[in-house]
Amino acid sequence: MNDVIVQMKNIVKIYPDGTVALRGVDFEVRKGEIHGLLGENGAGKTTLMKILSGLLRPTSGEIYIAGKKVSFKSASEALKHGIGMVHQHLALVPAFTAYENIVLGLPGREASREKIEKLMEETGLKVPLDALVEDLPFGVRQRIEIIKMLYRNVDILILDEPTTNLTPIETKELFHTLKELKKRGKTIIFITHKLREVLEVTDRITVLRRGRVVGRTETAKATPEMLAKMMVGREVVMKIEKKPAKPGEPVLIVKDLWVKNDLGEWAVKGLSFAVYSGEIFGIAGVEGNGQTELVEAITGLRRVEKGQVILMGKDVTNRSPSELYRLGLSHIPEDRHKLGLVLDMTVSENSILGIHRLKKFLGSLLNLKWRVIDKHAREIIEKFEIVAPGTRAPARSLSGGNQQKLVVGRELSKSPQVIVAAQPTRGLDVAATEYIRKLLIKMRDKGKAVLLVSADLDEILQLSDRMAVMYEGEFMGIAKPEELTEERIGLMMGGYKMEQISAGTKPQPAASS
Amino acid sequence: MSELGMIIDIIEGTTFAMTPLVLAAIGEIFNERAGIVNIGLEGIMLISGFMAVVAAEATLNPFIGVLAGVATGAFIGLIHGYITAYLKGDHIISGLGINLFALGGVAFGIEAVWGVRGYHTPPDAAKVPDLPVINISPIFIAMILIVIGTHYLLYRTSIGLKVRAVGENPEAADVVGVNVERVQLLATIYGAALTGLAGAFLSIDWLTAITKELPAGRGFIALALVNFANWSPLLALGGGLLFGFFWTLGEWIKNMAAVKAVIPVTLMNTIPYIATLAVVAGLIGKSRPPRYVGRPYKRE
Ligand SMILES: Nc1ncnc2c1ncn2[C@@H]1O[C@H](COP(=O)(O)OP(=O)(O)OP(=O)(O)O)[C@@H](O)[C@H]1O
Ligand SMILES: [Mg+2]
Repeated sequence: MNDVIVQMKNIVKIYPDGTVALRGVDFEVRKGEIHGLLGENGAGKTTLMKILSGLLRPTSGEIYIAGKKVSFKSASEALKHGIGMVHQHLALVPAFTAYENIVLGLPGREASREKIEKLMEETGLKVPLDALVEDLPFGVRQRIEIIKMLYRNVDILILDEPTTNLTPIETKELFHTLKELKKRGKTIIFITHKLREVLEVTDRITVLRRGRVVGRTETAKATPEMLAKMMVGREVVMKIEKKPAKPGEPVLIVKDLWVKNDLGEWAVKGLSFAVYSGEIFGIAGVEGNGQTELVEAITGLRRVEKGQVILMGKDVTNRSPSELYRLGLSHIPEDRHKLGLVLDMTVSENSILGIHRLKKFLGSLLNLKWRVIDKHAREIIEKFEIVAPGTRAPARSLSGGNQQKLVVGRELSKSPQVIVAAQPTRGLDVAATEYIRKLLIKMRDKGKAVLLVSADLDEILQLSDRMAVMYEGEFMGIAKPEELTEERIGLMMGGYKMEQISAGTKPQPAASS
Repeated sequence: MSELGMIIDIIEGTTFAMTPLVLAAIGEIFNERAGIVNIGLEGIMLISGFMAVVAAEATLNPFIGVLAGVATGAFIGLIHGYITAYLKGDHIISGLGINLFALGGVAFGIEAVWGVRGYHTPPDAAKVPDLPVINISPIFIAMILIVIGTHYLLYRTSIGLKVRAVGENPEAADVVGVNVERVQLLATIYGAALTGLAGAFLSIDWLTAITKELPAGRGFIALALVNFANWSPLLALGGGLLFGFFWTLGEWIKNMAAVKAVIPVTLMNTIPYIATLAVVAGLIGKSRPPRYVGRPYKRE
């Protein structure tokens, strides 16, 4: 069991723009283990694994697979050695079917439906082979990726932050699969920055920080505190101090709101609530219960079919996002790639998106004043501790977490009155999460209103002054977090109304009409 | 002229008018499916047409002429593909370069080879003969086969899957070991070779002449056709047929004395464009280009 299958020695990677992503990393994986690769945003986890899977070439360093020295020029060479990677932002062709994605790149004679079906049967990873990938939920897409790699007889499977976009149930299923694959003798490298997950499924852990290995340990001997300290380089406060809220006026009022989803079905069914200045109002719930549509309707990105949105005392139903911004609304979107950033534009350009018409950025000929803009971008970079090669680097070259920080930094630099934050810490490491959570509390203490939508229940409980649980487009109840037990919240997330639970009657699921 | 004769005339005319458009459009569809845009179709037709005349006249063998045209197209495709896929150069600039080079190069070439300014007609022996009985070019038949073959290649084979994947999401292709750059280069060569065939068809078959206006905008019409056809070879064949038909009809009406007196010729010339646009826009609606088309794929 103890034979080393992957050995990477003194790996250095310098990107063409001069970013040093890896500064001499030694990395070792044993056959048949689940190995956790832990590290903050920008630590170099993805870079290291892209090198192992042949997509990037190291600037220097050596790789040994089962004792033999290798040097991959492409992913196909790595695949021949049994190494395959499932990427952070899945690498599938959306316009292809699941089947086409699985057999892509294989010679025609090696593509066999029966064999894929047999493989799905054996591993329990079921996917609809003829459905278009773009129509499938994230969890299923990920299964397609895993099957794709297994079908290529991969022995070493790399998963890059596989749980980021999964619901808790999907995560459980994934872990089950991983353990199953381990039993079949596969070696798995599991990249994450979630301590709980790494402790739950791995056998050994390597911790990266800023391009260096800062720790190796057996999972059995590790504690969350110790790992967090290694990752961040200092003690991390896992609990956030919060003064009691001093709520003021209602600044965001939603009245009997009805919104449809992309398929034309009702996603938000007559919601009414108010968010007061100086408070954080949290919305919890399993993803896909109308949270996305609610946020989009409030921020002017989706049509309100019925009902009203009132911002700072003004009816803003179905107004454009730029009008809403002028009235003091800012939006931290959940999908930073789709809504938050233009990846091919520079950090500077991204830092003024939406506020590019402000006087201070414009010269007399309506020309953009780049010096002022660069300064603005530098301020955000410093204030939010963003690791970026420079203000003129494309947003694409930032690591996932740093991209998110850039979005948050820009939105908060607009000095808003009402902040709508949707999954603001998704994909962020411990330090960045801590930072952004503290920041939201700071904004609250300054008298701003925060509407927080998150699938992370801990986040909602920790930050909210009042919270609601959303189920199928309705609120199951609104309460203070301290008034609710975990069990009660769990029931509400499953569709039981708060009144039913507290009345002590035998709970009946809320009518899901 | 009898009614039947007129109809046959128009059908035959259509087969000629559509052939170069469809060939170039199919070629462009293929390389755009792989993510490479080549706006140099006009230039490739022109240079290939020129080379086809030179080769056919030198050997008095039209078959060699056609081969020369195809090879010239393939060679230009090789250059364009290398610049865009491997050197990650700008697709539009490279294509523009081909068009500009063609204009100057061929004007100079005509003068250098034949010592005339701007216009040369090859001898009959250099011309591709029509099929027996009907007045239709063998290249038209080849074009139909190429359309069907390309369609099959794109949608029914693992090669086609690779080509389309590279144009939709090169990263997805990359991680399963598809050599993105090589697929793009080969697709571009194939596309340009078909456009080269279109050029040879113009110069030593249909028009049997070489001038520096040989393609007369057909390269650009083919580009538009790619869009109309929603990047599908079969639809491109349909679109080409429509355009060829209206073009032939327009030519025919244009020459009727009664019409000539009333409607200016230049206005008549717009008929095929407007008619095709109207029909196609009504039929196809919104088209969706390959998601990654025209963008250089960089790994780091
Ligand atoms: N294509 C690129 N060009 C230049 N620099 C890059 C590029 N990709 C990543 N980097 C930089 O390399 C460093 C390591 O990035 P990497 O993506 O490996 O981090 P990570 O550990 O995967 O982070 P995350 O958890 O945010 O995904 C970062 O500083 C990042 O900005
Ligand atoms: Mg990463």
